[in-house]
Amino acid sequence: MLNKLLPLGTRDEFGQRAATKQQLISVIQAHFKQRGLAAIATPLLENQAVFAPYQIGNYQYYRLLDTEGQTLVLRPDMTLPIARFLSATKVPLPQKFSYVGDIFRVSRRLSGSYNQMTQAGVELIGYPSLKAELECLAIANQLSAELIDDAVEIELGDAQFAQQVVASLTNDQAQQAAIKQALFNKQIPQYTALIEAFEHEPLMAFLKKWPRLFGQPALIFEQLRAAPLPASVQPAIKRLQTVVAWMAQTMPNQAVSVDLSSQAPQKYYTGLTFRGYSQAGAGYLFSGGRYDQLLANFQAKSEPAVGMGLDVDLLTALASSPEPLAPQQLIYFEPAQWPRAEALLARTAQAQLSLAPNKQAARSEARQLGATLIDLTEGDENE
Amino acid sequence: MSEPRLKIALTKGRVEKQVVPLLERAGLDCDLIRHKQRRLIFDSETQPYEFILAKGPDVTTFLERGAADVGIVGSDILVEHRSTQYELLDLGVGRCQFILASTADFDPAAPKRKIIGTKYPLITKRYFDRLGQDVEIIKIEGSVELAPLTGLADAIVDITETGTTLRENHLQIYDYLQPVSTRLVVNRLALKQHQTAIYELVDRLAAVVAADEKREIRQ
Repeated sequence: MLNKLLPLGTRDEFGQRAATKQQLISVIQAHFKQRGLAAIATPLLENQAVFAPYQIGNYQYYRLLDTEGQTLVLRPDMTLPIARFLSATKVPLPQKFSYVGDIFRVSRRLSGSYNQMTQAGVELIGYPSLKAELECLAIANQLSAELIDDAVEIELGDAQFAQQVVASLTNDQAQQAAIKQALFNKQIPQYTALIEAFEHEPLMAFLKKWPRLFGQPALIFEQLRAAPLPASVQPAIKRLQTVVAWMAQTMPNQAVSVDLSSQAPQKYYTGLTFRGYSQAGAGYLFSGGRYDQLLANFQAKSEPAVGMGLDVDLLTALASSPEPLAPQQLIYFEPAQWPRAEALLARTAQAQLSLAPNKQAARSEARQLGATLIDLTEGDENE
Repeated sequence: MSEPRLKIALTKGRVEKQVVPLLERAGLDCDLIRHKQRRLIFDSETQPYEFILAKGPDVTTFLERGAADVGIVGSDILVEHRSTQYELLDLGVGRCQFILASTADFDPAAPKRKIIGTKYPLITKRYFDRLGQDVEIIKIEGSVELAPLTGLADAIVDITETGTTLRENHLQIYDYLQPVSTRLVVNRLALKQHQTAIYELVDRLAAVVAADEKREIRQ
């Protein structure tokens, strides 16, 4: 029986879903190519050490041993293997990369989640300027408009903001970590108890509102202006304001929000972060940001970097419904007519060659497919 | 555009009985739940809410998968099922306590690898990890009190409200773990998608809970 069963958390893809996903990947790859991004593909298997900086959260790795007894994993992330590649090969920087591939994270058994996911993304390595973040946002804006009908909201954040605020409250690192954890997980009863220690601090009014510090940029910036925040957060706020103004000018129809109460997608993020979601989706369609210390995990010299990953499976689920397929044409022919059949195939949409051994079998095949039979053996070509 | 509807997954049974009056005082129409018969989904005709009645662990699954926007469930289940969703409000009902309990002859300091019966293996493991003790855990689905009485386990980790069942079964409490109460939990993305509606609901419920707490203090 096992020979017929899929491992938990996996699935076959076929039919309309497979076709839509392939179509989506083609569009994404064409977009990347048109922008001049260099394609990169890294192996599915990596040494587990590559993912030392990765926060796997509630998931687990698929692990196996190589012949030397070293632990290998199926990659749970696409960014760290690219950082490993850059560090090992000394490819000249700056460079822009793009990828499409599968990642693997083992989720809770029987939870309805899949463990193999397809991700597409870009890595802009060696670019210190904000223009790198802006190019990622332009890609996110253009691809989401092209791929799905549902309106997408882009949410901006900052990876350092929370740490800078808690560091201005206390030097106790355990207390800082506890406040951040309760804030990021919006465990409000716990968070409320933790901030009681700062009842008489000027920042208390801000701390009370902090878990709700997300939404329309103008409202968030107004709250930030009113709060006695430490000087260390001002560059991040200014950067957010610059990006919001740029987006309003460059992509006026794009819905934008700011969230300064959530955790960056991974701990290796260092600056601006961004994520996108739609009203219909059950997850984020894309997420990314700046991670200037990424290469520091593999080598002495760090490199500025910005990257973004798109959830191809979620995009597939939300993709605009394709036009119903036109009735298929099935071309029946004798082997000697092969060149004619090929020529007809090349100029006919939704056609395929019938490989049936005789006409009766070809008719039966056409009925099964719901296709029209073009019989070249009777000169029936309608060409 | 039509008003977005919030899907609220409510733990059926005791939580449902304790929370429905709070929801009603917060202005939610729970008439359909009060007269539910055997139905499990209740789509309010007058308000933008849809209620789902489910078992506690399933409430966390609905939330994790985005099949519900809001969940109302005990903190014991949230911890045991490693919920990663937002916990916005302690509803102040369903208060009870995790305890370590056993028969009178149990010696917590005995030098041996203890066998612990529980419905909550994760919470039990975390508790003994904190104590630096390695224990053998046996998962029990119901009537955990039987485990030390029948010799299946040395002690149990379970929740108790008044301690009556423990006393009636001649079990005594050896340690207190974390307290438990019913929480309002929100799917991470749903909070972004329905920010106004969810915070309206949370604020109305928070006002009801605060009024109850005030009354408790006065009494």
